[in-house]
Amino acid sequence: MAMEVEGEEMVTPGEVLGKASDVKAGRGAYLAPHNKTVYASLTGRRIVIPPSPASPDQRPTVEVTGHKAYGAVPELGSVVIARVTKVMAKMASADIMCVGPKAVREKFTGIIRQQDVRATEIDKVDMHLSFRPGDIVRASVLSLGDARAYYLSTAKNELGVVSAESIAGATMVPISWTEMQCPLTGQIELRKVAKSGG
Amino acid sequence: MDDRSLNLTTSFIDQIVVPGDVVLDLSSMSNQTIKLGGGLRQDCDTISVMKAGKLKFSKPNKYWVESSQKRYVPCVEDTILGTVVDSKADNFLVDIKGPTLAFLPVLAFEGGTRRNIPKYEAGTLLYVRVVKANAGMNPELSCTDASGKAAEFGVLKDGYMFETSTGLSRMLLSSPTCPVLEALGKKLSFEIAIGLNGRVWVNAASPSTVILVSNAIMNSESLSGVQQRIMVEKLMQKFQSSS
Repeated sequence: MAMEVEGEEMVTPGEVLGKASDVKAGRGAYLAPHNKTVYASLTGRRIVIPPSPASPDQRPTVEVTGHKAYGAVPELGSVVIARVTKVMAKMASADIMCVGPKAVREKFTGIIRQQDVRATEIDKVDMHLSFRPGDIVRASVLSLGDARAYYLSTAKNELGVVSAESIAGATMVPISWTEMQCPLTGQIELRKVAKSGG
Repeated sequence: MDDRSLNLTTSFIDQIVVPGDVVLDLSSMSNQTIKLGGGLRQDCDTISVMKAGKLKFSKPNKYWVESSQKRYVPCVEDTILGTVVDSKADNFLVDIKGPTLAFLPVLAFEGGTRRNIPKYEAGTLLYVRVVKANAGMNPELSCTDASGKAAEFGVLKDGYMFETSTGLSRMLLSSPTCPVLEALGKKLSFEIAIGLNGRVWVNAASPSTVILVSNAIMNSESLSGVQQRIMVEKLMQKFQSSS
Protein backbone atom coordinates (compact mmCIF):
# COMPACT_ATOMS: atom_id res chain seq x y z
CA MET A 1 0.00 0.00 0.00
CA ALA A 2 1.07 3.58 -0.28
CA MET A 3 3.46 4.36 2.52
CA GLU A 4 6.03 7.10 3.18
CA VAL A 5 9.14 6.08 1.37
CA GLU A 6 12.16 7.26 3.29
CA GLY A 7 14.72 7.79 0.61
CA GLU A 8 18.25 6.89 1.44
CA GLU A 9 19.40 9.15 -1.30
CA MET A 10 20.75 12.60 -0.54
CA VAL A 11 19.72 15.25 -2.97
CA THR A 12 21.38 18.60 -3.58
CA PRO A 13 19.82 21.87 -4.76
CA GLY A 14 19.05 21.68 -8.47
CA GLU A 15 18.54 17.93 -8.66
CA VAL A 16 15.50 16.78 -10.55
CA LEU A 17 12.94 15.16 -8.28
CA GLY A 18 10.28 14.41 -10.82
CA LYS A 19 7.98 15.78 -13.46
CA ALA A 20 5.17 18.16 -12.53
CA SER A 21 2.68 15.69 -13.89
CA ASP A 22 3.93 13.01 -11.51
CA VAL A 23 4.71 14.80 -8.25
CA LYS A 24 3.80 17.93 -6.36
CA ALA A 25 6.51 20.18 -4.92
CA GLY A 26 6.52 20.23 -1.12
CA ARG A 27 8.92 21.81 1.34
CA GLY A 28 12.47 22.03 0.06
CA ALA A 29 11.40 21.56 -3.55
CA TYR A 30 10.04 23.88 -6.18
CA LEU A 31 8.40 23.72 -9.55
CA ALA A 32 10.28 25.32 -12.43
CA PRO A 33 7.57 26.80 -14.63
CA HIS A 34 9.44 26.74 -17.89
CA ASN A 35 9.88 23.01 -18.20
CA LYS A 36 7.39 21.69 -15.62
CA THR A 37 9.96 19.83 -13.58
CA VAL A 38 10.25 19.67 -9.82
CA TYR A 39 13.73 20.44 -8.54
CA ALA A 40 15.17 20.30 -5.01
CA SER A 41 16.07 23.60 -3.37
CA LEU A 42 17.79 22.26 -0.24
CA THR A 43 20.40 19.67 0.57
CA GLY A 44 18.89 16.72 2.36
CA ARG A 45 16.96 13.49 2.11
CA ARG A 46 14.18 13.04 -0.36
CA ILE A 47 10.83 12.09 1.12
CA VAL A 48 7.72 11.19 -0.86
CA ILE A 49 4.43 11.73 0.90
CA PRO A 50 1.43 9.95 -0.58
CA PRO A 51 -1.60 12.05 -1.41
CA SER A 52 -4.58 11.96 0.92
CA PRO A 53 -7.28 9.80 -0.62
CA ALA A 54 -9.87 12.56 -0.40
CA SER A 55 -8.00 15.13 -2.43
CA PRO A 56 -8.81 15.44 -6.14
CA ASP A 57 -5.16 15.80 -7.04
CA GLN A 58 -3.66 12.34 -6.67
CA ARG A 59 -0.03 13.25 -7.09
CA PRO A 60 2.36 12.35 -4.27
CA THR A 61 4.22 15.25 -2.65
CA VAL A 62 7.99 15.15 -2.68
CA GLU A 63 9.81 16.98 0.12
CA VAL A 64 13.44 17.49 1.03
CA THR A 65 14.27 17.54 4.71
CA GLY A 66 17.52 19.28 5.48
CA HIS A 67 20.12 17.08 7.06
CA LYS A 68 21.33 19.86 9.26
CA ALA A 69 19.03 22.05 11.28
CA TYR A 70 18.57 25.53 9.93
CA GLY A 71 16.88 28.46 11.56
CA ALA A 72 13.62 30.03 10.54
CA VAL A 73 13.48 31.68 7.13
CA PRO A 74 10.89 34.36 6.30
CA GLU A 75 8.23 33.07 3.94
CA LEU A 76 5.62 34.91 1.95
CA GLY A 77 2.87 36.02 4.30
CA SER A 78 4.63 35.17 7.53
CA VAL A 79 4.56 37.66 10.40
CA VAL A 80 8.04 38.73 11.43
CA ILE A 81 9.49 40.86 14.23
CA ALA A 82 12.15 43.27 13.00
CA ARG A 83 14.22 46.11 14.41
CA VAL A 84 14.29 49.30 12.35
CA THR A 85 17.86 50.24 11.40
CA LYS A 86 17.46 53.18 9.07
CA VAL A 87 14.64 55.53 8.21
CA MET A 88 14.77 57.36 4.90
CA ALA A 89 12.38 59.60 3.05
CA LYS A 90 10.57 56.88 1.15
CA MET A 91 11.36 53.69 3.04
CA ALA A 92 12.72 52.20 6.22
CA SER A 93 15.13 49.28 6.55
CA ALA A 94 14.82 46.76 9.31
CA ASP A 95 16.75 43.71 10.51
CA ILE A 96 14.45 40.70 10.77
CA MET A 97 14.94 39.03 14.16
CA CYS A 98 12.09 36.49 14.49
CA VAL A 99 9.87 34.67 12.04
CA GLY A 100 6.65 33.82 13.82
CA PRO A 101 7.68 32.56 17.26
CA LYS A 102 11.18 31.40 16.24
CA ALA A 103 14.32 33.50 16.21
CA VAL A 104 16.40 33.52 13.06
CA ARG A 105 19.92 32.13 12.93
CA GLU A 106 21.33 34.52 10.36
CA LYS A 107 20.66 38.12 9.47
CA PHE A 108 17.84 38.97 7.09
CA THR A 109 17.11 42.50 5.95
CA GLY A 110 13.66 43.85 5.25
CA ILE A 111 12.44 47.07 3.67
CA ILE A 112 9.17 48.80 4.53
CA ARG A 113 8.24 51.12 1.69
CA GLN A 114 6.23 54.30 2.16
CA GLN A 115 3.18 52.78 0.47
CA ASP A 116 3.25 49.70 2.69
CA VAL A 117 3.24 51.44 6.06
CA ARG A 118 -0.51 51.68 6.38
CA ALA A 119 -3.62 50.94 4.40
CA THR A 120 -5.14 54.42 4.13
CA GLU A 121 -3.72 57.67 2.65
CA ILE A 122 -0.54 55.95 1.59
CA ASP A 123 0.90 58.93 -0.28
CA LYS A 124 0.76 61.18 2.77
CA VAL A 125 2.82 58.89 4.97
CA ASP A 126 5.78 60.55 6.69
CA MET A 127 8.34 57.83 7.37
CA HIS A 128 9.83 59.74 10.28
CA LEU A 129 6.44 59.92 12.01
CA SER A 130 5.90 56.18 11.58
CA PHE A 131 9.23 54.62 12.56
CA ARG A 132 12.50 55.61 14.16
CA PRO A 133 15.81 53.74 14.19
CA GLY A 134 15.75 51.21 17.03
CA ASP A 135 12.01 50.55 17.06
CA ILE A 136 10.79 46.96 17.19
CA VAL A 137 8.06 46.38 14.63
CA ARG A 138 5.77 43.51 13.74
CA ALA A 139 5.40 43.23 9.98
CA SER A 140 4.26 40.73 7.42
CA VAL A 141 6.38 39.60 4.49
CA LEU A 142 4.96 41.02 1.26
CA SER A 143 7.41 39.43 -1.10
CA LEU A 144 10.83 37.86 -1.18
CA GLY A 145 12.05 41.09 -2.77
CA ASP A 146 15.47 41.32 -4.32
CA ALA A 147 18.89 40.01 -3.34
CA ARG A 148 19.30 42.69 -0.72
CA ALA A 149 16.07 42.64 1.27
CA TYR A 150 12.62 41.23 1.81
CA TYR A 151 9.68 43.59 1.31
CA LEU A 152 7.67 43.99 4.51
CA SER A 153 4.33 45.59 5.18
CA THR A 154 2.75 47.05 8.32
CA ALA A 155 -0.55 47.88 6.64
CA LYS A 156 -2.80 46.17 9.16
CA ASN A 157 -4.09 47.14 12.58
CA GLU A 158 -2.09 44.50 14.40
CA LEU A 159 1.12 45.33 12.54
CA GLY A 160 3.42 48.22 13.32
CA VAL A 161 5.64 49.42 16.15
CA VAL A 162 5.48 47.08 19.11
CA SER A 163 8.12 48.62 21.33
CA ALA A 164 10.04 51.88 21.06
CA GLU A 165 12.35 54.00 23.16
CA SER A 166 11.69 57.67 23.68
CA ILE A 167 14.30 60.42 23.29
CA ALA A 168 14.71 60.37 27.06
CA GLY A 169 15.59 56.66 26.95
CA ALA A 170 12.48 55.07 28.47
CA THR A 171 10.27 52.43 26.86
CA MET A 172 7.19 54.22 25.62
CA VAL A 173 3.57 53.32 26.27
CA PRO A 174 1.20 53.19 23.27
CA ILE A 175 -1.73 55.57 23.45
CA SER A 176 -3.39 55.27 20.05
CA TRP A 177 -2.52 53.86 16.67
CA THR A 178 -0.40 56.93 15.96
CA GLU A 179 0.99 57.99 19.33
CA MET A 180 3.23 56.65 22.07
CA GLN A 181 4.03 58.43 25.31
CA CYS A 182 7.23 58.46 27.34
CA PRO A 183 6.58 57.61 31.01
CA LEU A 184 9.48 59.74 32.28
CA THR A 185 8.82 63.03 30.54
CA GLY A 186 5.26 62.69 29.28
CA GLN A 187 6.29 63.58 25.75
CA ILE A 188 4.21 62.12 22.98
CA GLU A 189 5.97 60.75 19.94
CA LEU A 190 4.36 59.71 16.69
CA ARG A 191 4.70 56.15 15.43
CA LYS A 192 2.61 53.66 13.46
CA VAL A 193 1.64 51.59 16.50
CA ALA A 194 0.53 47.96 16.38
CA LYS A 195 -2.74 47.11 18.07
CA SER A 196 -1.94 44.57 20.75
CA GLY A 197 -4.25 42.19 22.56
CA GLY A 198 -7.60 41.02 21.31
CA MET B 1 13.44 75.85 48.79
CA ASP B 2 11.51 78.24 46.60
CA ASP B 3 14.13 80.91 47.10
CA ARG B 4 16.87 78.57 46.06
CA SER B 5 15.13 77.51 42.89
CA LEU B 6 14.33 81.12 42.00
CA ASN B 7 17.97 81.89 42.52
CA LEU B 8 18.81 79.02 40.19
CA THR B 9 16.85 80.44 37.27
CA THR B 10 17.71 84.09 37.73
CA SER B 11 21.35 83.32 38.16
CA PHE B 12 21.57 81.15 35.05
CA ILE B 13 19.74 83.30 32.52
CA ASP B 14 22.20 85.09 30.21
CA GLN B 15 25.04 83.17 31.82
CA ILE B 16 27.36 80.68 30.23
CA VAL B 17 26.12 77.16 31.00
CA VAL B 18 27.80 73.82 30.35
CA PRO B 19 26.29 70.37 29.78
CA GLY B 20 25.05 68.90 33.02
CA ASP B 21 23.97 72.15 34.67
CA VAL B 22 20.50 71.91 36.14
CA VAL B 23 18.80 75.16 35.34
CA LEU B 24 15.18 74.62 36.29
CA ASP B 25 13.45 72.57 38.93
CA LEU B 26 9.93 71.83 37.75
CA SER B 27 8.70 70.42 41.04
CA SER B 28 9.11 73.75 42.77
CA MET B 29 7.55 75.88 40.06
CA SER B 30 3.86 76.58 39.78
CA ASN B 31 1.92 74.80 37.07
CA GLN B 32 2.90 76.47 33.87
CA THR B 33 3.90 75.37 30.42
CA ILE B 34 7.51 75.96 29.59
CA LYS B 35 8.81 75.87 26.06
CA LEU B 36 12.27 74.40 25.70
CA GLY B 37 14.38 75.35 22.75
CA GLY B 38 17.64 73.86 21.58
CA GLY B 39 20.28 72.71 24.02
CA LEU B 40 17.95 71.87 26.90
CA ARG B 41 16.44 68.57 27.90
CA GLN B 42 13.92 67.38 30.43
CA ASP B 43 15.02 64.75 32.94
CA CYS B 44 11.86 63.87 34.84
CA ASP B 45 11.52 66.94 37.07
CA THR B 46 14.53 69.00 36.16
CA ILE B 47 15.66 70.78 33.06
CA SER B 48 19.32 70.29 32.35
CA VAL B 49 21.67 71.68 29.75
CA MET B 50 22.90 69.60 26.83
CA LYS B 51 25.02 72.14 24.95
CA ALA B 52 27.54 74.66 26.19
CA GLY B 53 26.46 78.25 25.58
CA LYS B 54 24.46 81.10 27.02
CA LEU B 55 21.08 80.37 28.55
CA LYS B 56 18.45 82.69 27.13
CA PHE B 57 14.92 83.38 28.26
CA SER B 58 12.13 85.14 26.47
CA LYS B 59 8.78 86.02 28.02
CA PRO B 60 6.56 84.38 28.86
CA ASN B 61 8.01 80.91 29.00
CA LYS B 62 10.71 80.16 26.41
CA TYR B 63 14.16 78.93 27.41
CA TRP B 64 16.97 77.99 25.11
CA VAL B 65 20.75 77.79 24.91
CA GLU B 66 22.55 79.91 22.36
CA SER B 67 25.90 78.61 21.28
CA SER B 68 28.22 79.17 18.41
CA GLN B 69 30.22 76.50 16.70
CA LYS B 70 31.67 75.74 13.32
CA ARG B 71 29.53 72.65 12.76
CA TYR B 72 25.92 73.12 11.72
CA VAL B 73 22.99 71.07 13.02
CA PRO B 74 20.22 71.17 10.40
CA CYS B 75 16.97 72.68 11.57
CA VAL B 76 13.67 73.07 9.69
CA GLU B 77 13.05 76.45 7.97
CA ASP B 78 16.70 77.55 8.18
CA THR B 79 18.08 79.35 5.13
CA ILE B 80 21.55 78.10 4.35
CA LEU B 81 24.27 78.04 1.74
CA GLY B 82 25.10 74.64 0.31
CA THR B 83 27.56 73.36 -2.26
CA VAL B 84 26.50 70.70 -4.75
CA VAL B 85 28.58 67.55 -4.38
CA ASP B 86 26.83 65.16 -6.74
CA SER B 87 23.59 64.68 -8.61
CA LYS B 88 21.49 61.54 -8.58
CA ALA B 89 18.30 60.61 -10.41
CA ASP B 90 15.92 62.36 -8.03
CA ASN B 91 18.09 64.58 -5.88
CA PHE B 92 21.17 66.73 -5.80
CA LEU B 93 23.52 65.85 -2.96
CA VAL B 94 24.43 69.09 -1.22
CA ASP B 95 27.05 69.67 1.45
CA ILE B 96 25.70 71.95 4.19
CA LYS B 97 28.44 71.62 6.81
CA GLY B 98 26.23 69.23 8.76
CA PRO B 99 26.65 65.65 9.93
CA THR B 100 25.39 64.24 6.61
CA LEU B 101 24.88 65.43 3.06
CA ALA B 102 21.48 66.89 2.34
CA PHE B 103 19.14 66.00 -0.52
CA LEU B 104 17.78 68.71 -2.81
CA PRO B 105 14.97 67.22 -4.89
CA VAL B 106 15.41 67.87 -8.58
CA LEU B 107 11.89 69.29 -8.80
CA ALA B 108 12.13 71.63 -5.79
CA PHE B 109 12.43 74.78 -7.91
CA GLU B 110 9.83 77.27 -9.02
CA GLY B 111 8.22 75.88 -12.15
CA GLY B 112 10.33 72.76 -11.90
CA THR B 113 9.24 69.88 -14.10
CA ARG B 114 10.95 66.76 -15.37
CA ARG B 115 11.76 68.62 -18.60
CA ASN B 116 13.66 71.58 -17.16
CA ILE B 117 15.83 70.02 -14.50
CA PRO B 118 18.79 72.32 -13.77
CA LYS B 119 22.26 70.94 -14.35
CA TYR B 120 24.52 71.85 -11.49
CA GLU B 121 28.11 70.71 -11.49
CA ALA B 122 30.02 69.87 -8.35
CA GLY B 123 30.96 72.99 -6.42
CA THR B 124 27.95 75.11 -7.37
CA LEU B 125 26.91 77.36 -4.48
CA LEU B 126 23.19 77.42 -3.72
CA TYR B 127 21.04 79.43 -1.33
CA VAL B 128 18.46 76.96 -0.08
CA ARG B 129 15.90 76.38 2.65
CA VAL B 130 15.76 73.31 4.91
CA VAL B 131 12.44 71.49 4.55
CA LYS B 132 12.95 68.36 6.65
CA ALA B 133 15.61 67.77 9.26
CA ASN B 134 15.24 64.68 11.41
CA ALA B 135 17.95 62.98 13.40
CA GLY B 136 19.41 60.05 11.52
CA MET B 137 17.91 60.97 8.15
CA ASN B 138 19.51 63.10 5.45
CA PRO B 139 17.99 66.59 5.55
CA GLU B 140 15.79 67.65 2.67
CA LEU B 141 16.22 71.07 1.06
CA SER B 142 14.25 73.23 -1.31
CA CYS B 143 14.97 76.17 -3.61
CA THR B 144 11.48 77.63 -3.13
CA ASP B 145 9.80 79.20 -0.15
CA ALA B 146 6.81 77.62 1.55
CA SER B 147 4.39 78.89 -1.09
CA GLY B 148 6.41 77.61 -4.03
CA LYS B 149 7.96 80.86 -5.24
CA ALA B 150 11.65 81.19 -6.02
CA ALA B 151 12.15 84.11 -3.59
CA GLU B 152 15.94 84.65 -3.93
CA PHE B 153 16.76 80.94 -3.53
CA GLY B 154 18.96 79.29 -6.11
CA VAL B 155 22.43 79.61 -7.56
CA LEU B 156 24.82 82.31 -6.34
CA LYS B 157 27.06 83.29 -9.21
CA ASP B 158 30.52 84.87 -8.93
CA GLY B 159 31.42 86.41 -5.62
CA TYR B 160 33.38 84.89 -2.79
CA MET B 161 32.20 82.45 -0.13
CA PHE B 162 33.86 82.06 3.25
CA GLU B 163 33.03 80.09 6.36
CA THR B 164 32.26 81.47 9.78
CA SER B 165 30.78 80.13 12.97
CA THR B 166 27.04 79.69 13.34
CA GLY B 167 26.94 82.37 16.03
CA LEU B 168 28.39 84.99 13.70
CA SER B 169 25.85 84.11 10.99
CA ARG B 170 23.02 84.57 13.45
CA MET B 171 24.44 87.91 14.57
CA LEU B 172 24.72 89.11 10.97
CA LEU B 173 21.10 88.15 10.36
CA SER B 174 19.71 89.75 13.49
CA SER B 175 17.43 92.73 13.26
CA PRO B 176 17.98 95.66 13.65
CA THR B 177 20.85 95.43 11.21
CA CYS B 178 24.11 94.27 12.63
CA PRO B 179 26.50 97.25 13.22
CA VAL B 180 29.29 95.92 11.01
CA LEU B 181 26.97 95.45 8.03
CA GLU B 182 25.39 98.83 8.58
CA ALA B 183 28.75 100.58 8.71
CA LEU B 184 30.01 98.78 5.62
CA GLY B 185 26.79 99.45 3.76
CA LYS B 186 27.07 103.19 4.28
CA LYS B 187 30.32 103.43 2.35
CA LEU B 188 30.45 100.45 0.00
CA SER B 189 28.00 98.70 -2.27
CA PHE B 190 28.02 94.95 -2.27
CA GLU B 191 25.72 91.91 -2.31
CA ILE B 192 25.75 89.50 0.56
CA ALA B 193 24.07 86.17 1.33
CA ILE B 194 24.29 84.71 4.81
CA GLY B 195 23.64 81.07 5.58
CA LEU B 196 22.72 79.97 9.08
CA ASN B 197 25.10 77.06 8.63
CA GLY B 198 28.13 79.31 8.97
CA ARG B 199 28.70 80.29 5.33
CA VAL B 200 28.69 83.83 3.95
CA TRP B 201 28.83 84.86 0.30
CA VAL B 202 29.88 88.35 -0.76
CA ASN B 203 29.83 89.84 -4.23
CA ALA B 204 30.83 93.33 -5.35
CA ALA B 205 32.01 95.16 -8.44
CA SER B 206 35.69 95.17 -7.49
CA PRO B 207 37.72 92.46 -5.75
CA SER B 208 39.11 94.90 -3.22
CA THR B 209 35.61 95.65 -1.97
CA VAL B 210 34.91 91.95 -1.63
CA ILE B 211 38.09 91.43 0.38
CA LEU B 212 37.39 94.43 2.57
CA VAL B 213 33.86 93.30 3.38
CA SER B 214 34.91 89.69 4.05
CA ASN B 215 37.74 90.68 6.35
CA ALA B 216 35.55 93.13 8.24
CA ILE B 217 32.93 90.44 8.83
CA MET B 218 35.45 87.83 9.87
CA ASN B 219 36.97 90.20 12.39
CA SER B 220 33.67 91.23 13.93
CA GLU B 221 32.69 88.10 15.78
CA SER B 222 33.86 88.95 19.25
CA LEU B 223 33.46 92.72 19.03
CA SER B 224 30.62 94.71 20.50
CA GLY B 225 28.55 97.08 18.36
CA VAL B 226 30.69 100.13 19.05
CA GLN B 227 33.92 98.23 18.51
CA GLN B 228 32.59 96.93 15.19
CA ARG B 229 31.91 100.47 13.96
CA ILE B 230 35.37 101.62 15.02
CA MET B 231 36.95 98.62 13.28
CA VAL B 232 35.11 99.38 10.06
CA GLU B 233 36.12 103.06 10.25
CA LYS B 234 39.76 102.12 10.60
CA LEU B 235 39.57 99.68 7.68
CA MET B 236 37.90 102.29 5.48
CA GLN B 237 40.53 104.89 6.37
CA LYS B 238 43.35 102.52 5.48
CA PHE B 239 41.59 101.62 2.29
CA GLN B 240 40.99 105.25 1.26
CA SER B 241 44.51 106.30 2.10
CA SER B 242 46.12 103.50 0.14
CA SER B 243 43.92 103.68 -2.98
